[in-house]
Amino acid sequence: MEYRKYNPVDFHNHVSGRKGKLDRQDAISRLKAAEILGIEKICISRPLTGDSPVPDEFCACNDIIMDAMKLSERFIGFCFVNPGYARESIKEMERCIVRHKMAGVKLYHQYFICDPALYPVMEYAAELGIPVLMHAGKLSDSSIQPRLSNAQHFLKAVKMFPKTTIVQGHIGGGGDWEWNLRVLEAIKPEARFYIDTSGSVIDAGIVKRTAETLGADRVLFATDGSMEEGLGKVLDAGLSGRQLKKIFSGNFNSILSARRCK
Amino acid sequence: MIFDINTSTGHWPFRRVPNEKISELERLLKGKGIGGAAVVNTHGLFYKNCHDANLELSGAISDRPFFAGVATLNPLYPAWERDLQDCAGKLGMKGLRIVPQYHNYQLSSPCAREILAAAVSLSLPVFIPVRVVDVRQRHWLDTGSVLGIKEIGELSLSVPGSRIIVTECPVYSYQVLSKNNEFLYPGLYFEISRMGSAYGQEIARLAGQIGAERLLFGSGSPFKEVTPALLKLKSAGCTDQDKEKISHGNSRVLLGL
Repeated sequence: MEYRKYNPVDFHNHVSGRKGKLDRQDAISRLKAAEILGIEKICISRPLTGDSPVPDEFCACNDIIMDAMKLSERFIGFCFVNPGYARESIKEMERCIVRHKMAGVKLYHQYFICDPALYPVMEYAAELGIPVLMHAGKLSDSSIQPRLSNAQHFLKAVKMFPKTTIVQGHIGGGGDWEWNLRVLEAIKPEARFYIDTSGSVIDAGIVKRTAETLGADRVLFATDGSMEEGLGKVLDAGLSGRQLKKIFSGNFNSILSARRCK
Repeated sequence: MIFDINTSTGHWPFRRVPNEKISELERLLKGKGIGGAAVVNTHGLFYKNCHDANLELSGAISDRPFFAGVATLNPLYPAWERDLQDCAGKLGMKGLRIVPQYHNYQLSSPCAREILAAAVSLSLPVFIPVRVVDVRQRHWLDTGSVLGIKEIGELSLSVPGSRIIVTECPVYSYQVLSKNNEFLYPGLYFEISRMGSAYGQEIARLAGQIGAERLLFGSGSPFKEVTPALLKLKSAGCTDQDKEKISHGNSRVLLGL
């Protein structure tokens, strides 16, 4: 298919683990799916959803990511940390990103993206020149994930951390994406802000509206495991070849080129 | 040839849905290479007297052979029995949709069995969407209720001869197989738009375990983009023969086309 020439990079995906080890069968299944669908690279992380994972727990998750990176060069690792453990998080970022060549940081809903507790992690990410991908959404029932970051939190975060590249996760992750986009109309041109297209939600017009609101320069193709959904909704967005090139891989390559630790 | 078992027309009140008019929908689906579709009227979710939605739908598709109409009825509303006869008879509907989430009853209630039995007597398959849209992003006036395979399956078991097409449902083997790997719900058929395909190969697995005859291509258009479902069909690791069944053969048999 035509889109394969853009070498799609799935910016937001995961692998599974069992008892601290990579679930190889699941990882191979994701690789096969990427092969079938023509997805060149898959960015993976293994976040924990608990209230406050301790350093041993998040380091073990990153060990699983390292195993996956050894399994296939198609996998690009993202390092998961809990910013509540600032010192340990910095140490883990140094291990994963500087020594083991992971490409970015993944944060989950332990804190809002604009929480001051994030300063050490965000500033170190800026120093390394790597992106921070944050789990996000605007659920109808906010009690399900009370510290889930939505677009309003991201607007604050880009002001608090102006030197850090911040990625709002899965516009289609199951939440009011229209609400998020209306809020993001206020994003300033100078903000180092991106959004990824992943998630199982494939409402007609979701990617078209995202690109119209933010510009194709800020949109990253991703699946979060919903692989046909992720690919199909970008292909149905009525975008030009130039826009598709940016979304499928160009923006990712721009982000990667800002990396300072070689 | 691809036949889409899961499309809708009519106005959705909670967000702007492109291509919700019947002419737009037909153009969209044809543009994606789809050769025919079963269609319901979204208004049937909201009208108290929802048979008016069937009359609207019948008028809208009367000169559009591309579409097979599927009625929507509420078994708690007066005269549904007569309306169902009309739908199967003079309106030429090929199926019946029931939506307990919107019409405020349980699938375990007697009225659900009654309308399903009435559909069986008219040889109509019954469509049950587990949801219409993702409830995680629902409008504050919309329903938050999502149905489960088990309750739909139990309904099917309670009415011999029933054929239920479950739409908008992710399906995994463990939900539909017994410990002895027997299919638990012989009256159920599943539309594929929310199943895993390339990743996990759930469509191929289900085709092997419960039979490709149980799976039907559907997109969920115009609420959802169409290409994801097309990619799922293409990526399913099934035989070409099974893909033929899933893409259109099964739907045509079920709807009597």
